[in-house]
Amino acid sequence: MTTKNTAPILEKLTNSRLFYPLLALGIILLLDTIFIPDFFSIQIRNGDLYGRVIDIMRNASTVMVLALGMTLVIATGGIDLSVGGVMAIAASVAAIMMNPVIVGMELPADLMKFMNDPNFTYSPLWEVIIVSLIVALICGAWNGFLVAYMKIQPMVGTLILMIAGRGIAQLITNGVRIQIFYKPYAFLGQGWIILPISLYLAIILFVLIWMLTRKTSIGMFIESVGINPKASFYSGISEKKIKMLAYMICGLCAGIAGLIASSNIKTSDANNIGLTIELDAILAVVIGGTSMAGGRFSLLASLIGALVIQAITTSMYALGVPAFALQAVKGFVVIFVIFLYAEPVRQVFRKLTVKKAEKA
Amino acid sequence: MRNKIAAFINKNRQFIPVMSTALLAVLAYTIGAIFYPGMRNPQVFFNIFRNNSFLLISAVGMTLVILTGGIDLSVSGMIALTTVSTAALLREGVDSWLVFLLMLLMGSLLGLIMGSIIAFLKVQPFIATLAGMWITRGLCFFISDDAISISNRTIEQISRIRIYIPGVTEAFEVAGKIPPYVSISVAVAFIIYISGIYISRYTRFGRTVYAIGGNEGRNEQSARLMGLPVTTTKVLVYTINGFCSGLAGIFFAVFVTSGHGLYATGLEMDVIASVVMGGTMLTGGSGYVFGTIFGVFILGLTQTLIQFNGSLSSWWTKVVIGVLTLIFIGVQSLLKQSKGGRRKGRALSGQALADHRKKRLITIGIIAGFAVMIGIILLAPKLGNQDGTQTTAQSGKCELQVFRQEQVPALIESGATIVYERNGGPNCVDELFAIYPDGRITGTNGKTDIEKQITIPDYELLLAGLVDNGWFTDELYDTWHTPCRQCYGYYLTVIKDGQVKTVKGVDGGTDAPAIYWQIISLVKGAVPKFDVSE
Repeated sequence: MTTKNTAPILEKLTNSRLFYPLLALGIILLLDTIFIPDFFSIQIRNGDLYGRVIDIMRNASTVMVLALGMTLVIATGGIDLSVGGVMAIAASVAAIMMNPVIVGMELPADLMKFMNDPNFTYSPLWEVIIVSLIVALICGAWNGFLVAYMKIQPMVGTLILMIAGRGIAQLITNGVRIQIFYKPYAFLGQGWIILPISLYLAIILFVLIWMLTRKTSIGMFIESVGINPKASFYSGISEKKIKMLAYMICGLCAGIAGLIASSNIKTSDANNIGLTIELDAILAVVIGGTSMAGGRFSLLASLIGALVIQAITTSMYALGVPAFALQAVKGFVVIFVIFLYAEPVRQVFRKLTVKKAEKA
Repeated sequence: MRNKIAAFINKNRQFIPVMSTALLAVLAYTIGAIFYPGMRNPQVFFNIFRNNSFLLISAVGMTLVILTGGIDLSVSGMIALTTVSTAALLREGVDSWLVFLLMLLMGSLLGLIMGSIIAFLKVQPFIATLAGMWITRGLCFFISDDAISISNRTIEQISRIRIYIPGVTEAFEVAGKIPPYVSISVAVAFIIYISGIYISRYTRFGRTVYAIGGNEGRNEQSARLMGLPVTTTKVLVYTINGFCSGLAGIFFAVFVTSGHGLYATGLEMDVIASVVMGGTMLTGGSGYVFGTIFGVFILGLTQTLIQFNGSLSSWWTKVVIGVLTLIFIGVQSLLKQSKGGRRKGRALSGQALADHRKKRLITIGIIAGFAVMIGIILLAPKLGNQDGTQTTAQSGKCELQVFRQEQVPALIESGATIVYERNGGPNCVDELFAIYPDGRITGTNGKTDIEKQITIPDYELLLAGLVDNGWFTDELYDTWHTPCRQCYGYYLTVIKDGQVKTVKGVDGGTDAPAIYWQIISLVKGAVPKFDVSE
């Protein structure tokens, strides 16, 4: 009696999109508890929580934000390589607005005195955020324009901003790494209210995008464009507009990630902000089970994918693996994930579960 | 007449990207030779191939991969891994030929694995090879964190082999000039290139490659239904590319005589750019291995032009190559889009006329884009003057000083064994240093004198470094041309055991032997620095 019930539940579980990412996260955390002492210890300081697990969530927030946008783009059958470049642009715009010393604008005479005041800024916080996000949105729109309207391959079209983005960011800041002194801005990446602020930002963004895609028909449209653009065109879905929207959301997410990253390090480091982070974002989506060929997507699974990557990174650092060698570990994870999701391997799995059910 | 030309172009339209690249290459070289007299030296032309032979080897393999509609991002990682493994194995005393064999096997094996993942598990090439890149690069750091230098006789001999081009050499000897030469890597690269052309055009395997990639990479199913061995071919293509990466990695290691995990970062983009500029479509199925060499040549030429200009930073190479690649992708997609209409009418009417106009626009676009590129390279230093910044103001006044060679004999008489002079540059310096066997270093820049003491072992290490790098061999020779405005002229005399040799050189060009700059940087590291603010 009991076996008959558990088999369908097992099947249901393995068929769920969240199963594999959660399994991966579980395995990694399990290994961590075995090999790294005090991995789960959490301290409370001034009412805020600190610890390795919290660190994982805080450091993952940038990739989580990126993975949300990337999921939509990949679901349309595209890819966005430019997120790192857009992050650098957004960070540079934000930094130059708060601290425009180096561009030789006409500044108040007592500016240098204000430099020591942590609450001094040249433009208010809301202005900084809105302008840099608008710039990021424009970058996303440019990608969308190239892919949807110019019909350039997504990989090639977004490669432009990936390479040129850092150059543009350098141009904005005149090639200088601008220090950010403004405290409320630093709060975005470094602040805590029980949990890190950046984590809240990622969760709020997730809820917003989830509502946009799952409470309206936009999510379904994106999936249909990813599965078969022609068929969806004939059924009255504007393929171009949907693609444009996906790339714009991805640009916006990259902008937010750029703000978080720059406030975390308190500079606009155009050369290093978000370097190779596009790979992490894509990897997060792949681990989340969204097919690279487009089609069905799950935002929550991508978030868990981002957590998986960060958990691997943090545990590797805790084990003392050097940063560069970490790449190899990530590569092996990708190969492993590929194996799990590959159709022939899945068929073997399915056969196994079916046989079990038959035996029962 | 016009109709005939149009018909001719229409007939051979698949060659347009290749031909425009070839034309671009010739044009750019001509313009470069007009502006920079140093580029007229034929050795500069051959140096473009010498410095980029590994790129050509890699690009031939990549062309085949891209023709099947795939992509291989792992080449740079493979090259880095090969350099590190070669260096590590040679350090352990393994025979160099065995190492080469092992490296080629390793490259092919890694290619085979990635190809199998792509072909059997139906994984996107982008993802599988990206993982390959991460793994190969990461593995480098498991082998060694630091660069491992290679000091192996065979490798040194290989890097010193000079191959004179038959026909060209005789012509030069008749004219009484030094004949240009290439290294063995260029010869191997050309063998690979020619075999690539043969394989892609005249073998069953090559035609299957085209069949798989045809129709923008969507032809795979049709190829399978025709009974072609799609899966095997795909695996084989990645294996061949892995082999090419291994070979390129060996020559890279020979070229830089060391191995490190950070070598060749971003090289995969250069390789892909060369293939695209060579007229191969990224979507697959259309293009020629034949054209790839022009893509590689343009890439090398851009580097050379920027080096000759001297005042542009090296990231301009990336910008120019990026822009050119984009132009080519744009041209190809336009050509593709207008393909459907061309069969409708032979005469120039309706669609054909529109095609014709479009083509003219494309041609104008290429030429305009190229003109802008050349313009930027040539005008950039002049535009820089308008900034009115301090450094440019100074360099505006700068007259290159005559080398103070007459002082050198006096310094040698007083016991100096290394005399080093550097002048020119953006700040218009003229610095003369003399290094004595007791470790004393004296320097003067005309206004102030400077002195520094290094230990005698340090001095001996320095001198040994110079001599071991082949100071007294034929590898080092004078390469003097008028320096560009921002470049430095160098003048180095070394005396050891009664041998005296002086070599002059100017940076910002490719004509000086690479080893010369290694030696200069050795000396530069030893001598004291003048206070720049003076």
